[in-house]
Amino acid sequence: MTLGLRVKQLLVIAGVFLAWSLCDSLQVFNPDVIPPLSSVASAALEMFSRSELYPAIWLTLRDSLAGVAIAALLGIPLGLWIGMFPKVELSTRILLDFGRAFPVIALVPIFILIIGTNHSAKITMIAIACFFPILVQTIYGARHISATVTDTAISFRIPAALRFRKVTLPAALPYIATGMRLSLSISILVAIAAEILTSVPGMGTEVRLARTYNEVSVAFVYTLYAGLLGVALTAVWDFLEGKMLAWHHRDGEL
Amino acid sequence: MEKYKAKLIGYLWLWWLPVAIVVLWWLGSQNSTSFFFPPLSKILSVTLRDLGSGVLWSHLFTSLANMVMGLSIATFLGVAFGLLIGELKGLREATAPFLNFLRAIPPAAIVPIVIVALGTDAAPKVFLISFACIWPILLNTIDGVRGINPQLIETARAFRIPFSLRNRRIYIMAALPQIMAGIRISLAIALVLMVISEFVGASKGLGFYIREQKEAFAMAEAWGGTILTGFLGYLLSAIFLRFERWTLAWHFQDRDNA
Repeated sequence: MTLGLRVKQLLVIAGVFLAWSLCDSLQVFNPDVIPPLSSVASAALEMFSRSELYPAIWLTLRDSLAGVAIAALLGIPLGLWIGMFPKVELSTRILLDFGRAFPVIALVPIFILIIGTNHSAKITMIAIACFFPILVQTIYGARHISATVTDTAISFRIPAALRFRKVTLPAALPYIATGMRLSLSISILVAIAAEILTSVPGMGTEVRLARTYNEVSVAFVYTLYAGLLGVALTAVWDFLEGKMLAWHHRDGEL
Repeated sequence: MEKYKAKLIGYLWLWWLPVAIVVLWWLGSQNSTSFFFPPLSKILSVTLRDLGSGVLWSHLFTSLANMVMGLSIATFLGVAFGLLIGELKGLREATAPFLNFLRAIPPAAIVPIVIVALGTDAAPKVFLISFACIWPILLNTIDGVRGINPQLIETARAFRIPFSLRNRRIYIMAALPQIMAGIRISLAIALVLMVISEFVGASKGLGFYIREQKEAFAMAEAWGGTILTGFLGYLLSAIFLRFERWTLAWHFQDRDNA
């Protein structure tokens, strides 16, 4: 990353701010949808002295991570199992396609009745939404072993358990990592959506409350901070992935 | 004959588990008295009743109309800006972090802001759907243009192919596999945003139907609407996948030959 590029990227952001304030003074935007830059900026700073900001971020983050963890605990073993046996993969394909295309958020009303408006309902929805990307990526990974590698393992009569640990798992890991990365950003999106719809505490609920109290700038800032939370989560994951899969990335560069 | 047999066995492997699950659900729930899990036969019969009376069809039509509108706007804007940003290397690199941030903004958070400000009719919903759907299409188009073989671009320059022709016949065609993949991702997002926006504020649509039935504690109807939404998602993505294969037949052919 060169210095010139950083400057250009900052210029883009400065340009966006400039355009925003220009639009404000020309009254282009409806202030109830996109509030003026000045009030958003002051809300963005003032938020840090509000006591409800930190629990909101924490509850959204905690439930998202819990959901991803549950999805990973179920999805990775199941995905490896499905991916290792072509017949199992064939048998589950329709179900997986259906599950993947299913908008989890449509289950909210039913979940509210069955589980209630609490953190378990939110975590369940996040877990279901994150389960499919992890599962599908793991299956890809387990199937994506080149025939040469499989044949070599078979002709050396490498026992199944050892083959799983030393061949299938390492081959699938980069794909699993991609699934986890996808799931982390999905988890925040679903958490916010679930909070908006159920009023379980979190950043989404704060957006809705702020909007109800007519504090549009505050609602806007919560939305932006939720986006930053998603960016931060993926950045942390990229860092961890770089550490954990260093061997893979080295191979890729050769 | 052998060929048909192999095909039949393939279908059997593909369908035995989904069919078994539906049958088990049907039989297992047949005598269910639980309020939360009504018998599948009842879910099916109330859904068919509401489809037959036309109530559900009109909800379905409203929802689909919003989705198609939102997705079309997102596709048009996403491809147009994607071509522009993708073709200019400096602009592409400079805007990358900003665009990635915009993509990470949870569209659901904007739903209450927009709906409280603009009301519960179709326009705010179309706006929300297009806002959420534009990012995958935009970023995929940029990626697609970036991945174009430089020789192709050099050739187009050398022959002085005019701007609009170049865009239409070279850039869009070369980026089309990526653009289509972006639209496919956005299709799923459009469905989610359609449902959320109809939960928050609407008087029509599939999401409204589900919420209305839930509030009346009509569990079978709520389940029916939810399952129908799932089928809609599955059907739309299956149809789009077919369409994608068809429009990109040349691309898959090239790849398979290579």
